[in-house]
Amino acid sequence: MNLLSTPVEAVPMRQLRLSDVPRLGRRHPLVLVGGGLLAVLSILAIAAPLYAGDAVNMDPFKRLQPPSAEMWFGSDNLGRDVFARTIFGARISLMVGLLSAACAALAGALIGVIAGYSRSFDNVVMRVMDGLMSIPTILLAIALISLTGPGIGILIVAIAIPETPAVARLVRSVVLGVRERPYVEAALCGGARLPKVLWRHILPSTIPALMVQGATVCASAILTEAGLSFLGVGVPPEIPSWGNMIASSRLYLAIAPLTIFAPGICLAVTVLAVNLLGDGLRDMFDPRSKRRR
Amino acid sequence: MAGFIFRRLVSTIAVMAMVGIFVFLLLRLAPGDPAAMIAGRSATAEMIAGIREKLGLNDPMPVQFIRWVRDMLGGDFGTSIFAGRPVLELISQRLEPTLSLSILTMILSVTVGVSFGILAAWRTGGLVDRLLAAFSALGYSVPVFVIGYFFIYFFAFRMHWLPVQGYVPIEGGFRPWFVHLILPTVALGFGYIAFIARVTRASMLEVLSEDYMRTAAAKGASSYAMLFHHALKNAGVPILTVIGISFAYLIGGVVLTETVFNIPGIGRLVVDAINNRDYPIIQSVLILTSGLYVLINLTVDLAYTLIDPRIRY
Amino acid sequence: MTISRRNLFRAGIAAGAALSIPSVLRAQTVPVDARTVRMMNWGVPSVFDPVITTSQDTTDHAAAIYDTLFALDSKFVPQPQMVGKWGVSDDKKTYTFELRDGLGWHDGTPVTAADCVASIRRWAQIRPGGQFMMARVQDISKKDDKTFAIALKEPLGLLPSLLADILYIMREKNADTPATEAVTTNIGSGPFKFNESLFRPGASLTYDRNEQYVPRPEPADGLAGGKIVKVNRVILENIRDAQTAVAALQAGEIDLYTQPPADLFSVIESDPNLVLLPLYKHGHDFFLRINCLQKPFDNVKARQAMLHLVDQEAFLQVLSSDPKYTNTVTSWFGSGNLATNDENTGWFKKGGDPEKAKQLFNEAGYAGEKVVILQPTDWADGSNTSQILAGALRKIGINVELAASDWAGVSARRSKKEAVEEGGWSIFITSDTDFSRSQPMTVAHLSMNGEKAWYGWPQSEEYEALRAKWADLDAVDERKALARKMQAIAWDYVSEVLLGQFTAPIAHRKILTGIIGMPDILPLWNMEKA
Repeated sequence: MNLLSTPVEAVPMRQLRLSDVPRLGRRHPLVLVGGGLLAVLSILAIAAPLYAGDAVNMDPFKRLQPPSAEMWFGSDNLGRDVFARTIFGARISLMVGLLSAACAALAGALIGVIAGYSRSFDNVVMRVMDGLMSIPTILLAIALISLTGPGIGILIVAIAIPETPAVARLVRSVVLGVRERPYVEAALCGGARLPKVLWRHILPSTIPALMVQGATVCASAILTEAGLSFLGVGVPPEIPSWGNMIASSRLYLAIAPLTIFAPGICLAVTVLAVNLLGDGLRDMFDPRSKRRR
Repeated sequence: MAGFIFRRLVSTIAVMAMVGIFVFLLLRLAPGDPAAMIAGRSATAEMIAGIREKLGLNDPMPVQFIRWVRDMLGGDFGTSIFAGRPVLELISQRLEPTLSLSILTMILSVTVGVSFGILAAWRTGGLVDRLLAAFSALGYSVPVFVIGYFFIYFFAFRMHWLPVQGYVPIEGGFRPWFVHLILPTVALGFGYIAFIARVTRASMLEVLSEDYMRTAAAKGASSYAMLFHHALKNAGVPILTVIGISFAYLIGGVVLTETVFNIPGIGRLVVDAINNRDYPIIQSVLILTSGLYVLINLTVDLAYTLIDPRIRY
Repeated sequence: MTISRRNLFRAGIAAGAALSIPSVLRAQTVPVDARTVRMMNWGVPSVFDPVITTSQDTTDHAAAIYDTLFALDSKFVPQPQMVGKWGVSDDKKTYTFELRDGLGWHDGTPVTAADCVASIRRWAQIRPGGQFMMARVQDISKKDDKTFAIALKEPLGLLPSLLADILYIMREKNADTPATEAVTTNIGSGPFKFNESLFRPGASLTYDRNEQYVPRPEPADGLAGGKIVKVNRVILENIRDAQTAVAALQAGEIDLYTQPPADLFSVIESDPNLVLLPLYKHGHDFFLRINCLQKPFDNVKARQAMLHLVDQEAFLQVLSSDPKYTNTVTSWFGSGNLATNDENTGWFKKGGDPEKAKQLFNEAGYAGEKVVILQPTDWADGSNTSQILAGALRKIGINVELAASDWAGVSARRSKKEAVEEGGWSIFITSDTDFSRSQPMTVAHLSMNGEKAWYGWPQSEEYEALRAKWADLDAVDERKALARKMQAIAWDYVSEVLLGQFTAPIAHRKILTGIIGMPDILPLWNMEKA
């Protein structure tokens, strides 16, 4: 769990309806800008093999070269193409960000929904969540990574686990608010089984909170990855990610600034996009926010 | 009130027990052997095996766990495998730098962040608000070590205004202590200022849109009174919550800052300990930081009543 | 509670405003004491016992606070240090040593022969040089308070050299500690005293000049001669971030930084206050260690393929792009030693022939078996060279997996003899001083005794038979001839492949002079600060 993903406010939120989508751009420019930027970045990342070139090939005799027609952003300390690595790095960084967010959201939602509904489960599981929350994120991540050595899979797990308690708490609070609502009680009285009620009536009401929270988890995951790479426990050095590019190029700020600026600017733009999207979603789902504008 | 505190204490014990088991298992499952790290890079297998046996690392895990819990309850947090010194002594040596950095950062982030947030909320969409949006985009997306390098390069190396690195204990004088902490504090504070400012802005807006604010405005309250008397007081609870939470993160989050500015704090201690597989140190630091987190949040919960008289336990 | 909440918030905001007013902060960044040297050497040692570890920070620490019986001079000839008069009996089987006058422990008690005997015994239990010596020792005994003798079963001309190995003399009560348990006290008889009260484990360590130390009358020469301390205090800092350490050096917050990253050499060279100084001109030899037990490298052809494949120039580029500090090295015995030779190197020269390597892999029957390279992510040179190696192997169609972990993970996994699928390994990269390659008797990775050998477990009876003769040869020519024979076998067998030599210079401020350059050890005496 990171600073960025702290649940700021658990306001009652209304459900997302399909009919909202066309009006979305007009009413919520933040969502459009943030989402649009993210979509463009994702397409660039997915299409990387079509145009980016070779991100793996090393040439020790061409270290830290300035930009050229052949290598637009020059080369890094092992003579690899910085442009290609930045583009391919987008795949890793976005994947780490999105998958960590998805894992944390999924696990958090599951735990939160059940905890919100079952008193006994609540007591046990929320203590476990408190425990996880109380261990500093980066230390917990380092300890988890030392289990297997650096790798993308363990990295995603290591970022998602500390983020999960925040999501679980948020979802739980939403569920606690919703479960006393008349429509839920009506459904239960009408003979619907509990799992079905959870699935049909309660889970959907948590989706807005999850999306907002997911966006912040995603942004913080990308940054946490950079921090872990700085300490030498992030993505394995041979795989390009913005985090480990920034971390391994930190000595070359003066000699080959693009080795650090290229991934750095991409990181900033992505985090910005994700944050805009998160803000936009919050405004969109929180009916009261309209009154503020 | 007493009942609340009692309930909180019971749940704290449950949380700590959970953390204890988790931390112990986590470390013992990690590959890597403190004995091999002690023996060095060109050591022979024979040297390593001898050290392992001596350290009691060949005992079954449950035996090691029970020994650890029993000692800890007796106030004995063990002895560092490497330094051969009591873990508590090592931690207490590192406590001052980390606390100094955390407290200064907290003071900086809260004062600047809250003021920034209030100003931004005062005129939504105004200059300050836009500045905040830009600043928080930066504060959120630039890794702290990059900010740190920039500060070192500019303020310490180019301008010679401030020292590059290091820490001077406060007993060596307030001024050298403070001067050494300025750059790390600002570098680390960057993200937190952005964070607290945003939270403040959001909570203030929340409150400003309440009906009673409209009433106050209709009754002719000045904008100063509106902001500080009516709004901030009511926005205090969420702000205090994040301050409580982020204080605990700071303790963990200082790791990177301590590395960049060479501050001998808890963060470095535990990262080095993880690299060396110095189990007693890692276990104790994780347990103690969890305990501190729980304690701070208990304090924050109690402080709610001070800020918001509507809250009663 | 009577504090008005409004006042509380106003006070907070006022404090915020006060903080944001910039006061003129012209900081005192340079420590004023010219008699104190601050440095970032290898960090602050976490183990203080030079016997149980080979770690460089501990060795340097021991050199500061302990003293040795013999010490190597700048030509690597052992000279008496703590020993005054010494001699060998006519049958060359009994050595008698008498301690020189004025030796005392930091706790005020005199150094005795009993201390020396206990220290030798402890060292000899686990250090390869000591174990080798013990195989020939009849008895080590104290004659009187200042004299002791070593009686041998057969002559051993190498004895003074062996005693000049990292054998530090401790008090008898410390030296009685089992050799598997670390000594944690820091009472020596060396030129520096360990300052207990200023010690911050992992953060900083302070040495004070030992005012009682009586140096030898000879001038300092290598580790031998008079150890005269010309400063009052030496402080080891632990600046873990290279960029910060260089900035601290430039700002004068430290005076010496032993391992500046090669890519910052140009920054250091362009600073008029700083100097780059290669302490020992032959530096470190990087090498890759091969696991000879597992496929594909259980086949000698596959190992020989590695000699063809490795292009030292490429690895050296990554270690330092400045050719001033790098060299190719092809001899099993390093590049700067008496035994250095060119035997059996013609066929692979300096490597860099992927076609030939591919052909040999084919001849070895390589069928896509996974090759696992252990990559230490917390050691930049090791991590980068591992990646270069993986790239080179992949280009010739080898199925490479880089197993990234911290050094703790590498050192745990390298001791596993199993197949790679069961957690074993194929290759890891490390480095050792060029000088160490001249010590086949005592350096672990230069032996080939199978299960008992260092990680990789090479086995060659032929080589071992030759290695056993090394100690008995005194004449330089005989050793040189033996070295050629050993090298002929070693390069056919290929237990390790050299990647090149990197003479990492240290960086120091110009005001610091008199730094003694030796491989492995940075002596703290003799240096002076203007």
